[in-house]
Amino acid sequence: MRVEGRDIRKRFGRIEALRGIDFTIPTGGRVGLVGPNASGKSTLIRIVLGLQQCEGELLLDGSSKRGLELADRIAYVPQIAPKLGASVGEVVKAITRVRGLAVDDVVERGAQLGLDFRAIDRQAFRDLSGGAKQKTLLALALASRASLFVLDEPTASLDTTSRMDLFDQLSHRTQGATLILCSHRLEEIRTLVDRVIVLEEGKLAYFGPTEAYLDSITLSTIEVQMLNGTGGETLTRLGFEPGVAGWWSRTATRAEKLALVAELSETMAGRLGNLLVRDAEAMRLDDQAEENEPSKRR
Amino acid sequence: MKRQLNSYWAVAQLDMAEVLRSRWLLFCVVIYALLASVFVLVGMRESTVFGFTGTGRVLVSYVHALLVLLPLMALVATGHVVNKARDDGTLELLFSQPISRAAFFSAVSSVRLVVLLAPLVVLMVAMGIFGRLVFGQQIEWSFVNHCLILCTALVWAFCGLGLWVSTSVPNTARATMYLLLIWVAGIALLDFALAGMMLQWRLEPRVVFALAALNPVQSIRMALLSSADPQLSVLGPVGFYLANRIGSTWLYVLGLGWPLLLGAIAWSGALWRLRRGDVA
Repeated sequence: MRVEGRDIRKRFGRIEALRGIDFTIPTGGRVGLVGPNASGKSTLIRIVLGLQQCEGELLLDGSSKRGLELADRIAYVPQIAPKLGASVGEVVKAITRVRGLAVDDVVERGAQLGLDFRAIDRQAFRDLSGGAKQKTLLALALASRASLFVLDEPTASLDTTSRMDLFDQLSHRTQGATLILCSHRLEEIRTLVDRVIVLEEGKLAYFGPTEAYLDSITLSTIEVQMLNGTGGETLTRLGFEPGVAGWWSRTATRAEKLALVAELSETMAGRLGNLLVRDAEAMRLDDQAEENEPSKRR
Repeated sequence: MKRQLNSYWAVAQLDMAEVLRSRWLLFCVVIYALLASVFVLVGMRESTVFGFTGTGRVLVSYVHALLVLLPLMALVATGHVVNKARDDGTLELLFSQPISRAAFFSAVSSVRLVVLLAPLVVLMVAMGIFGRLVFGQQIEWSFVNHCLILCTALVWAFCGLGLWVSTSVPNTARATMYLLLIWVAGIALLDFALAGMMLQWRLEPRVVFALAALNPVQSIRMALLSSADPQLSVLGPVGFYLANRIGSTWLYVLGLGWPLLLGAIAWSGALWRLRRGDVA
């Protein structure tokens, strides 16, 4: 499904949540939606889903009209699962009924995510753990016939194994479908999407390839341990700070990281006791990121 | 149409499960049963109240008590349906599925009406049968039906108002305040209270009568007693005035029709707001 936003604006009283957003996601496009809190991500998602009205135009496959047929082609997984008092079985039955799906398909998708529906069938949905709720909603979404997947922090409550299972399923199930993924996790952005929309204070701050974006915002920590306490002068020149037990460290952007590791290997050969490189887990969406790649910002 | 019906049943099943888990149905049964048993135990005798005797007397007394209780229960059952579902993300999930807002709204309204009325139907029929078996009273099925129709109209009016508050007031605490105000107004603005106001502030009698007649609780009370002798002490000033002006049949039609109309207006207004507004 092709998703187009033309001058999307949304106000909540005096607060302008979205200030003229333009974007086009082609059919089969996989886009990450990122930005700090209150940047307008959730509002944009809700406008795409037709849950909120807006100024401007939001077109799905070229049409601004909504209906049940169109809703059938959209699958949504919210970040926070609703507190439904109905049992898991009843929730699954209700959603499969309105979507014309087989319950067995959902059960199978759940099993692939490590969820045993038979064990939780009679449990109230609101009493499930965060991970089980999210897996239930993911199983329902993955079993649907949707051609647009909108996932809002889908792995927020999942453990590492479940995340890997989900990535695997998503990459298969969303082949040819459009994916909008709202996330703060680098690994999700890197693995699942090829373009990124960055929102800041309701404005479009960046819309471009994932790799270029990650280059600009990923921070790595490089730590080296020198043999016999040598090489301090060179490390200081390269921007490293001394730590304990002969360790030195510094942070670097993704682009700087490769150059630094190459230089360290070349100049410190034979004197390096150890070398650790860790990518930061969280995205950096502050002024420093903007300074790093000003040309990519609008 | 089939899709709409599918969504309707899916939401109705979910909402019924929600209601059953929250023990609302049980609560309604217990409250109605407690009230009914009190009236049956003390009232099933050959005495007369408002011209009614035996089972009729018990039912009249019971419905009079329900005039106070049903509006409160209807408002509580419906006043937080939409705003709470909006707050906890239920609307966001349901409306991202192929479920129309009209289907959702119709389904939750039906479920709440059923939960409020089904136990009442069973109890009123049981009261009639109990009166027949234990006290040898003739079962006045037409009067039982009459009482049930009036209770349905009253519940419908206040369910409509509750749903209207629920869709119009996003803040649940504020909604609770409005619901209580509506209930207090319904109970306080009966004709005898208004007659007191009329004397106190020298209000025009027509204004007072109009205000009283606009109150659905007063309307139902007039319709309930429309079959009794048109005496001032039975019907109250507004009912007595109207009964003498328009006759008991029209008093019944007006008394029953106004709450039904009010409920329909409030329900439609609530649906209109839900369809037009943001749901998350």
